[in-house]
Amino acid sequence: MTATTAPTRVPVRRQKSTRQHFFKSGLEDSPFKRFLIHLALILSCALAVYPVLRIVSVSLRPGDRLLSTSLAIIPPDATLQAYKTVLFDKAFPVWVWNSLAITTATAITGVILAATSAYAFSRWKFIGRGPGLVFLLTTQMLPAPMMMVPIYILAIKLGLTQTYRGLIIAYSITSVPFSIWILKGYYDTIPHELEEAALIDGVSRLSAFWRIILPLSTPALAIVFLFSFMAAWSDYLLARVMIASERPLWTWVLGVRDFQGQFQTQWGLFSAASVLVMIPAMALFLYSSKWLISGLTLGSVKG
Amino acid sequence: MKKNVFVTMALLAVVTLLATQCGPAPTPERIVETVVVTQKEEVVVTQEVIKEVPVEAEPVTIVMWTKEGEADGGLQFVQALADAYTALNPEVTFEVTNKDVETLREDFLTAGLAGSLPDLLWTVNDHAGPFTDAELLMPVDDLFDLNLYVDSALAAAELGGRTWGVPIANGNHLMLLYNKDLVATPPANTDELLAMGKGLTSGEQYGLVYNQTEPFWLVPWLGGFGGAVFAEDGKTPTLNTPEMVATLQFLYDIKYTTPIIPAESDYNGADTLFKEGKAAMIINGDWSLGGYKDLLGDNLGVARIPMISATGEWPKPYTSGVYFMLPYTLEGAKLDAVKGFISFVTSPTNQALMVAKLNRLPALKAALEDPLITNDPILKGSADQMVVGTPMPTVSEMRCNWDSMKPEMQAVLADTKAPEEAAAAMQTAAEDCITKLQ
Amino acid sequence: MQFLTLEVILNSLREVGSTVLYILVGTAFLEIVAYLWWKPLSTFSEWIDRGLKFLGKPVRHVISTLLIVGVVIFAVGSVGVGQNVSPLAPYWPFAIVAFLVATYISPNAVKIFHWRMRLPYMLLLPAIVGLMLLVIYPLLWELNVSFTNLNPRHFKSPDFVGFLNYVEVFTRPILKQVTFFPVLMRTILWTVVNLAFHVSGGMGLALLLNRKMRLRGLYRALLIFPWAIPQPIACLAWLGEFHFEYGFVNIALQRVGLAPVRWLTEPTANFAAMCITNIWLGIPFMMVIILGGLQSIAGEYYEAADMDGASPWQKFWQITTPLLQPVLTPAIILGTVWTFTNFNVPFFINQNELETSDTLVTALFRSAFQYFNLSSAAAFAFVNFGLLLIFAIFYIRITGVLKGVTE
Repeated sequence: MTATTAPTRVPVRRQKSTRQHFFKSGLEDSPFKRFLIHLALILSCALAVYPVLRIVSVSLRPGDRLLSTSLAIIPPDATLQAYKTVLFDKAFPVWVWNSLAITTATAITGVILAATSAYAFSRWKFIGRGPGLVFLLTTQMLPAPMMMVPIYILAIKLGLTQTYRGLIIAYSITSVPFSIWILKGYYDTIPHELEEAALIDGVSRLSAFWRIILPLSTPALAIVFLFSFMAAWSDYLLARVMIASERPLWTWVLGVRDFQGQFQTQWGLFSAASVLVMIPAMALFLYSSKWLISGLTLGSVKG
Repeated sequence: MKKNVFVTMALLAVVTLLATQCGPAPTPERIVETVVVTQKEEVVVTQEVIKEVPVEAEPVTIVMWTKEGEADGGLQFVQALADAYTALNPEVTFEVTNKDVETLREDFLTAGLAGSLPDLLWTVNDHAGPFTDAELLMPVDDLFDLNLYVDSALAAAELGGRTWGVPIANGNHLMLLYNKDLVATPPANTDELLAMGKGLTSGEQYGLVYNQTEPFWLVPWLGGFGGAVFAEDGKTPTLNTPEMVATLQFLYDIKYTTPIIPAESDYNGADTLFKEGKAAMIINGDWSLGGYKDLLGDNLGVARIPMISATGEWPKPYTSGVYFMLPYTLEGAKLDAVKGFISFVTSPTNQALMVAKLNRLPALKAALEDPLITNDPILKGSADQMVVGTPMPTVSEMRCNWDSMKPEMQAVLADTKAPEEAAAAMQTAAEDCITKLQ
Repeated sequence: MQFLTLEVILNSLREVGSTVLYILVGTAFLEIVAYLWWKPLSTFSEWIDRGLKFLGKPVRHVISTLLIVGVVIFAVGSVGVGQNVSPLAPYWPFAIVAFLVATYISPNAVKIFHWRMRLPYMLLLPAIVGLMLLVIYPLLWELNVSFTNLNPRHFKSPDFVGFLNYVEVFTRPILKQVTFFPVLMRTILWTVVNLAFHVSGGMGLALLLNRKMRLRGLYRALLIFPWAIPQPIACLAWLGEFHFEYGFVNIALQRVGLAPVRWLTEPTANFAAMCITNIWLGIPFMMVIILGGLQSIAGEYYEAADMDGASPWQKFWQITTPLLQPVLTPAIILGTVWTFTNFNVPFFINQNELETSDTLVTALFRSAFQYFNLSSAAAFAFVNFGLLLIFAIFYIRITGVLKGVTE
């Protein structure tokens, strides 16, 4: 198949040539075709965004009215009361702050763990490498809710509950398998010659890793950071197991459950909190989206 | 450039670490959110309490899990009680954690496996079933004078001849709530209900709404038709009975034959319709009284679910309530503190406070006579309904019944199964489920 | 905001900081120990290797494997469940010894402990330790439980029942009525439908976006929305949309003149609702991956094809699709696994707990936690796991995605 005749690529020059090729491969579109394309895209965007806007409208409605027959995004009697209550009368800012602190620490730890481990997988042929990689894949196949009971038992035995210790360790490890796969693929595209040259110059392996490989893999590292962040940001199961009993330590996921009663739910507050919580996630996403595109591919395509 | 960034970040990290290590900043004790105070006056509890236990010198922290949430003011009430008790007995402090009903059950069982149970539970009666199966609770017959409490409340926490929970509030039952703007006098029986409902159902308005997805709303009617989910022994399911078929037929009729209810409506749907004034009547529980009272004020009426014309019997909604349950690991100073707290919470004064703040009926017999209840038409209506109710079974097998009834009931309401078929299927499913419990 | 006091802020930072310190110290300790002990272990392994040469490689492999199998069985059996302390537990020193012996007898020992291998193993050490805590221990615990009858009626001292739970997975209904194979078929259908739409939808959008156009950045940003939203919130939003009276799906249908659908109570409709929600959630991920892949395809191929007079259809199938394969394959494997084990969507969109809408994972969850029947749930989980493992190995073999490893 044509796949095997794909040209070898020069990773360092990746960015420039991509753009050149990109614009060259653009077909000459007729204005009509362009109109259709824009139309299709606008429809898709509308579909993508509308359910989110409905949450916004619930948050703007007075009284906890989740449902309403009007399709208007901004209800006629819109009020910011829910936002005010959530921000000023509830401990919501505390939860968000906790989440930010935990998630950032997790993402950084996860990146470091994954970067070093992926380097080992990429550069050495050691016993257990193949099975190890398959094992990492299989960790994605275990249903998370089931694992919570033994994790809870272990955490109690090791004294890791009611503090952030268990939580951060668990979050860091959760994102490791996927991160290792992505980073390993990325490292594989960086030719060995670069490190070999450095080694000949007498630089240690680790130093070569730090000074040569890491700077070259910033896009992939950004992706791993993003994934670790997102995984930890909206996680409920592990947070519930580890810190549910300590209100001051709650993340926003635990806190927002406060608004849900057995039958009654304070929908206004819940949606306001949801909207506020989406903001950091979206911001992070948009900021790193440029890395996202180029990074994801370079790691997987092999020369 | 990159190097600078890295170095700066590293320095920042180090500084943060150092900064947060210095200083003995202890974990903040608790974060208390705004307490929504209802219009009733604050009864200052501290001066009127009966202390029944000797003061223990040893400081004790009671870890209490409660199913009360913030939404209806329950959690704030629990916290206030705990604080009041600590004010009277400074050596006893509380750590109150709110968990919703399902989470509480799962977490308690998991904690049992891990060997780290909390010290006190404030929860619903049907938790007693699985918890006693796992032998995680301590019976309360010998620890308290149970004659002080309403019989039906105690019955709902009884298993194997022993009582496993001390009732705090009684009720949790369904009743007929109506909007006086749309309905002057509530229907006394189902014939009237259908007649009135037909008149009120047109366009966007409905005569009656209720949560069509949960069998909890089916059970009252079943009682009215003379049926029950369990046989005399309280463990064998009796779902495939003529009474069940009659109940399912009735529910089918009010939806399709003489439609007075919406085509599809869950709890939120029914709740919203009633709140928006698009439903004349709603069948809902005592937990919803506060919200409706705030919205409708004097226009809210409470009545018994209408008598079944065919049998001449009142529907029997399940009554239960909330209970204190004690883990079997309690002993010594903690046990004494817990006993003291329970007596404190179920004292007449605090029971009256609960009625005022949470609109729930008390579990203490003495408190039922309180003018607070007899003078309030809403609470009086609620109490009126409760007396014809029946205690909700608390055995583990009950869960099998709920789970078996739910899909079949929904199938009948979706017009995909006939009542006879559904009843038979319920029975089979329940029996299968119960064998798996062993 | 009054809750966000300086005290609270510092407290959180302190918690996080102390954890990070904890991790750093732990890791440093591990690494230092590994570093110091490597040379002696290496020398020792060479010495053993010389001494045992007379046994010959096959024999040593066999002995080593048998010992490892024994250690694994021991590990599974020694994890105490409930209040049972396993009778095997006091013998754990023997297991450690057996493990060490197995490692050193094996002819691979020299290769493992070679001084050049020190660095990769040291790099992997923290991850290995972490995974052992988070994955291996729970796995062993679950495996152990699956051979008992742990449920509320047998709680403090569950009994050993052998393979009974595994047999029941296939013979008894999981919850009330539905048995294993129908649910399996439904889960496979769910996965296939979702993946088909994910890939085609993502491909379609990526192809549209893969050109020079204005507002490309804006479109991309908006189309990523579903991915950036925390899943439970997205599910709740869609649940609202499928509401019979108030959801915009039915309202839109009615405005177009169609009858409203009972999304939440009718089995087929509910399944469709689940699929729609998950498709909405999953397309951005595929779109981003495919878009990246498209950008890496050299323009020359298309130019050459144009010169040969190829139609757009031919260009797509002969150039685009094969060249996307290295990107697409991992995405498809991961997508399949994630969709198969997706819990949030089938759980939340199925508020009425219609058994006909359950996938394997949600049925498993309900069975485990509604009745706390952990033992049968554990057996169920492993059957589930086995299926996915078979699929993954099969798919990997077919597409050769792991070829790089054997280089």
